[in-house]
Amino acid sequence: MTTLQDHPVSGGQSLPQLPVARRDSLWRRFRRASPFALIYSAAILVFYTIIFIIPFGTGIWLAFQNWDFITTPKFVGLRNFGRAFTDQYFWWALQKTLLFSVVEIALGLSLALLFALALSQILGKWQNIYLSLYYLPVITPLVVSLYLWRWLYRPTGGAFNTLLSSVGLPEQPFLASPQQALWAITAVIIWAHLGTGIVLFLAGINDVPESLFEAARLDGAGFWQSFFKITMPLIRPVLVYQMVVSVIGTVQMFEAFFLIPGPGFSTRTLALYTYELGFRALNLGYGAAVSLIIFVMLLGATVFQLRRWQIQWEH
Amino acid sequence: MARTADTTRLHTPLSPFQRWIVSGKWTKTVVFLILAFFSFAMFYPFIWLLFSSFKTGADILSLPVTLLPKRWTLDAYLMVMDPTRANLPIAYVNSIIVTSGTVISVLITASMGGFIFARLEFPGRDYLFYFVLSTTMVPFLTLLIPLYIVMRELNLLNSLWGVWVPSMFSSFGIFLCRQFVYGIPRELYDAAKIDGSGDFGIYRNIILPLTKPILSALAIFVFLGAFNAYLWPLVILNEEKKLTLPLIIARMANRFGGTDYQAVMAGSVLVSIPPLIVFLIFQKNFVRGIALTGLKG
Repeated sequence: MTTLQDHPVSGGQSLPQLPVARRDSLWRRFRRASPFALIYSAAILVFYTIIFIIPFGTGIWLAFQNWDFITTPKFVGLRNFGRAFTDQYFWWALQKTLLFSVVEIALGLSLALLFALALSQILGKWQNIYLSLYYLPVITPLVVSLYLWRWLYRPTGGAFNTLLSSVGLPEQPFLASPQQALWAITAVIIWAHLGTGIVLFLAGINDVPESLFEAARLDGAGFWQSFFKITMPLIRPVLVYQMVVSVIGTVQMFEAFFLIPGPGFSTRTLALYTYELGFRALNLGYGAAVSLIIFVMLLGATVFQLRRWQIQWEH
Repeated sequence: MARTADTTRLHTPLSPFQRWIVSGKWTKTVVFLILAFFSFAMFYPFIWLLFSSFKTGADILSLPVTLLPKRWTLDAYLMVMDPTRANLPIAYVNSIIVTSGTVISVLITASMGGFIFARLEFPGRDYLFYFVLSTTMVPFLTLLIPLYIVMRELNLLNSLWGVWVPSMFSSFGIFLCRQFVYGIPRELYDAAKIDGSGDFGIYRNIILPLTKPILSALAIFVFLGAFNAYLWPLVILNEEKKLTLPLIIARMANRFGGTDYQAVMAGSVLVSIPPLIVFLIFQKNFVRGIALTGLKG
């Protein structure tokens, strides 16, 4: 018989002999599990095997082969990866990808933050109306936006050049120029993606308790001071999330460079290069190797960003 | 007496303009005007799109270019709607099939997965969940070439099945729903269990209705993703009758782009309508959905 004093919680001297819960065997746990869960798990496992495990494995295998869809694949060891390092086109593509991603993200996120900050000063109906307008390019199919902008960018008779010459500025070639094409496309993508950032940042800013701003105001903090000292730290998770997602998105951006390319190789990024290697040049092994390099780069970038953020977060 | 005179001068009522400046409300007005200007700038390309689609072929290429049509006409719309000249109507059907298939399958698999991974117990559950989550770390671009080879082996090339199959499950959707189901009191599940409901019954009668808010938010994202998808359909489909809307727009731009740009514009307007409708209908859920996803920190 256990008395109150024996009870471990009530401060008894000795612990009573509690029966240790015996771990069920794997088979019994399976039998006890609901069939619903097991059927679903089987389905999801089959799905990811077909859609993920097999392709990923094939991709890694392919990166060590030489294959053109027709002849039998030939093992070439690490030659595909070695080739990437000496391939001028690969380095150009990498350079274009980095230029595009860095500018798109830096400019795009800063603009989105500015817009969200301005929108947060306006409350009620108008905030929603502006938000919907800014979000319109996001919901428009990118293909539509791209051809629309190519139309506006036309060197002669395009809307932008008409606008430029009407205020006395020289007309620009935009997409027709190797120097301007990449930036012309970057502008389209910033325009097309701005709404996503604005909506997320605005949701973050609106979530900051008003009392914090009130307290800062009473302590004599100005608008920008409370922005950098209160808003920024509190919306940092959104900022980091948006940054990580944007890096993954911009590096994989394909349509823009495929549909409205600049002359020559001026806008051929890694995404387009992979596609052309795989489906135009039919150099599947090398294409798979390039796409694996992209995977490793993106993984590194993501881990780096999350790490960096974590360190600052702890401070 | 002098003191009274002083106070009256101090209390001279300010003009509305002075009051506006002193009260600091002018900053709001300036912000408002700047936002108005930029929202116009954001909207500007769409104005060109809309007006150009009502132009005639000669009008759209004439110089100097004008925003408004010289003569309003529906020719461009009639042209792209004519099955003998453009395959837009067929592409509409294809896009609706693929998009609705994707949305429905993702909503079902995500809500089921959310419930199962959050509440039911079976061996290896968490391993399976983390595996599903880890697949998002591999970019689609890396899987593009090998996935195409797999689809070729499965004989799914050049069919809408091939477009749909890889997007039946969404790891992001499962993750989202799992987070949401954790917020539903466990007691509801336990009570239904004691009442003798099976797990599928609980999912169908309790979890599914309760996860509606997150599902409608997820539906918009999945809809936009599937409807606007370009790269994967491009790789899978090549027969003209099988193409989805974004692919058809690209083909039209290449075919008519030199001479009949108004047709491309009209096609673009028609393609932009379904996402717009979905957005307008679900707008409230959408903003709420962003709050629910917890993405805002």
